[in-house]
Amino acid sequence: MTERAIRLTVNGVPREETTDVRVSLADFLREKLELTGTHLGCEHGVCGACTVLVDGEPVRSCLMLAVQAMGADVLTVEGVADGDTLHPLQQALMETHAFQCGFCTPGFVMSALALLRDDPGADEAAVREELSGNLCRCTGYQTIVEGVLLAGRRARDEGAVL
Amino acid sequence: MTDVIGARSVGARVLRSEDPRILTGKGVYIDDVVVPGMLHAAFLRSTVPHGRLLSLDVSEARELPGVVAVYTGADMASRSTAGIPGSAIGMNMMPGLNIPASYALATDKVRYVGDPIALVVAESRAVAEDALELIVEDIEMLEPVVTYADALDPSSPRIFEEFENNIAMTGEVAMGDIDAVFAKADRVISATVSVHRHQPVPMEGRGSIAEWNPGEEELTIHTSTQSPHLVRLLMSPQLGIPMENIRVISGDVGGGFGLKMGLFREDIALAVAAVDLARPVKWIEDRGEHLATAGQAREEMAEMEAAITADGVLLGLRMNVTLNAGAYPSDPFPGAMYVGSVSGSFQGPTKIEALAATSTSVFSNKSTYVAYRGPWATADFMRERLLDIIARELDLDPLDVRRRNYVHRDEPPLAMLSGQLFLGVTTQESIEQAARISGWDEFRVRQQAAREEGRYLGLGMASYLEAAPGPKNPNAPEGGGGGIMGDEVSHVSVEPDGSISIITQQHPHGQGHQTTLAQVASDELGVPFDAITVRYGDTQFTPFALVATGGSRAATMANGSVLHASRALREKIMTIAAELLEASPADLEINGGTISVAGTPSITLSLAELARVVAEEPDRLPEGVDRDLEGTAAYDGGMGGWSGGTHCCFVEVDIETGMVEIQRYVVVEDCGLPVNPAIVEGQVRGGVTQAIGAVLLEQSAYSDDGQFLAGTFMDYLMPTTTVVPNFEIHHLESVLLDPDVNFRGVGEGGMIVAPAAIVNAIEDALATLGVRVREQHLPPARILELLGTVPTA
Repeated sequence: MTERAIRLTVNGVPREETTDVRVSLADFLREKLELTGTHLGCEHGVCGACTVLVDGEPVRSCLMLAVQAMGADVLTVEGVADGDTLHPLQQALMETHAFQCGFCTPGFVMSALALLRDDPGADEAAVREELSGNLCRCTGYQTIVEGVLLAGRRARDEGAVL
Repeated sequence: MTDVIGARSVGARVLRSEDPRILTGKGVYIDDVVVPGMLHAAFLRSTVPHGRLLSLDVSEARELPGVVAVYTGADMASRSTAGIPGSAIGMNMMPGLNIPASYALATDKVRYVGDPIALVVAESRAVAEDALELIVEDIEMLEPVVTYADALDPSSPRIFEEFENNIAMTGEVAMGDIDAVFAKADRVISATVSVHRHQPVPMEGRGSIAEWNPGEEELTIHTSTQSPHLVRLLMSPQLGIPMENIRVISGDVGGGFGLKMGLFREDIALAVAAVDLARPVKWIEDRGEHLATAGQAREEMAEMEAAITADGVLLGLRMNVTLNAGAYPSDPFPGAMYVGSVSGSFQGPTKIEALAATSTSVFSNKSTYVAYRGPWATADFMRERLLDIIARELDLDPLDVRRRNYVHRDEPPLAMLSGQLFLGVTTQESIEQAARISGWDEFRVRQQAAREEGRYLGLGMASYLEAAPGPKNPNAPEGGGGGIMGDEVSHVSVEPDGSISIITQQHPHGQGHQTTLAQVASDELGVPFDAITVRYGDTQFTPFALVATGGSRAATMANGSVLHASRALREKIMTIAAELLEASPADLEINGGTISVAGTPSITLSLAELARVVAEEPDRLPEGVDRDLEGTAAYDGGMGGWSGGTHCCFVEVDIETGMVEIQRYVVVEDCGLPVNPAIVEGQVRGGVTQAIGAVLLEQSAYSDDGQFLAGTFMDYLMPTTTVVPNFEIHHLESVLLDPDVNFRGVGEGGMIVAPAAIVNAIEDALATLGVRVREQHLPPARILELLGTVPTA
């Protein structure tokens, strides 16, 4: 086993840690940084539950090694809300009763955040296309899509900052 | 954050109190639990379906730095008692059911791909997995038993050698005069219909931490389960630890769908290791393990012979049902027994006069057959497919066939063949409303026009009736009704700060009970929704429940229990408040957590002040009032009632590619009075989505030689945003049977009826091309086979 020191920024906080080179970014976040909001649903890059943003781009943290995040700016679901105030996307998802068991939720929040930051005007087809890489077993997706569209509308019409 | 209708919370789309936690990553699922000193486990699993375990060399694995211990089947045999699934609740006494005894790890044989052979405990999961590579097992391959035919072939090797053959269960049922209905039938139609093996697949797999306290001789199991008390009940006999000394703690659960209903062999192995090492041991399964070993469902086949009239009335039928139960039975509900529900639940809302069935379950070298959202789903599929088959055979409209076959409320027959009453059944209303909303008749015009353009549209309908909980028979107070799994107990209490705690025996895993139970209590107590906390998930304080959350029980049982417990508490509050305010209890009201005297708004008493007086100044309390400020109810389900409804599915089938697109999906639902319509609709959508997966995508596929073929999400395909349509959900006006509690279960409804609606639609699309569908799994490759575009594999 080979250890490496890595420096990165997670949710705005600079971190310096050592990690075994074979550790995935997901395991690093969960075990080393105790950020357990990032969930592992398949560990082979299909379900999307482990999605985090690396330098603003959605990434499957189960498929990326922690050492590959050297110098990167990582955002996880824990860094999205402002203290106790939900982020407008989270607020919209709550209002549409988007989720049920919550296990896939962090991945959807991160994928949808990347999508809306890129294109707050994304229509339903675009949202469905973009979120097709995240699996949810409880909801049938409709309420998730509605929540993302609601957040996008609020960003456009009311200036909500995503 | 309460959205109220008038003054009531019940019936409103109240936002979920679970959501701030799960949306911000603060939920605590099993892999998020860390116990000091915790070790990590990995299982060595069989890669062959059937074989004799000749030897197992774990010496090199034990030497790997970081490995703490390696356990084998021999260790399990010396440190635990072989488990007999279901025996803790008497299932092993069920006539005709064969239940083998098994240890947590294979001792003499391996019986399916994934069968656990050894357990490695190490300082990290990575090291534990590394050590698996160092174990050398010598397995003599045996002929695999995979299909129904393999299992029924007397020359096949026996999977469990203590039995004479591979039959897991046989049974018969005869209701009504079957010979008489065949004698008077105009026609007899035969059809053999099958359902393929697929599985629940919660997004969070299984996982547990076993923790042994040698001083107290107490075992604590942290686990992802639907039924915490059941886990300790089932573990106790295998471990020889009294149930009272086993504590089960379960926090957020990432889905269950029936899979996480009982005990898994892995949990016993973990507990054995934790006791032996006196250190906590954690195991989190990966997705490959989950798909191969956590449990699979369905795989049934029914040969049906239907006695019908010339106008499409199903008078009765003979059916031979076979179920492939896999290898090790599920504990405590062996999969083999579900074969009986295919015939036992077949009748649904129909007026059939007789049914005679044989049931056979077989063992095979496949994963354990587990409960999956609506264990009676196959019965509904068989019935609703058969009605369409009859319609097609007689060239009748499937809607008309349903009109003729479904019972009309308050008209004979008033009871099912099983004796269960058809009280308050709204199936006829639901088909009419669904047909109206769907534009049933207009569709035929569009379908014809599309065909002329070479496009194939289909519309399918299916209806169901679910005993969730079912109506109580007033003439047989002990029969029928809600309490088939026992009464539901809830405790509702006032905390010292005046807030309210509800302790429930439910174990929610997505159903939003922290929201819905608080809604019910909020209305009953006059306390703000936000001041109510629903607590669950630790057997040290929750009431015992065989099934905590499952079987669509919560709507009636848990809400009803909380309603009555809240009323009991309210009475105590009012008695005390009357004394303190020197008023008559009848003149008191509670609003917003404050008690006041009607007509005298200046005289008030907050619940917090009342709680303080109870705690600190007991001498001010009236005589004969408990000081506990707690209401408890053991609720039996009251008068109960049916859930049910009708689904209509619109598809377009691309005959070039075999792809099926679901273009529109209409649900007309009767689940009594919804506590929270948004949550009810979520249950419906989720259930139908699993059905879409079952029909179009998902299969727990095995090769002919027993190898498991669907061990990743690239092989086991799940529905995504681009496959699932938006749903139109309509709530039907319900017939209310109980004076207080008319909330009915809706968890299973979507999944039990939708497969038939979807398959009926697909056959409808392709019928003019000569396609007849007798199965449930219709991925593009199969559609092309049915069309004759490609040869049948």
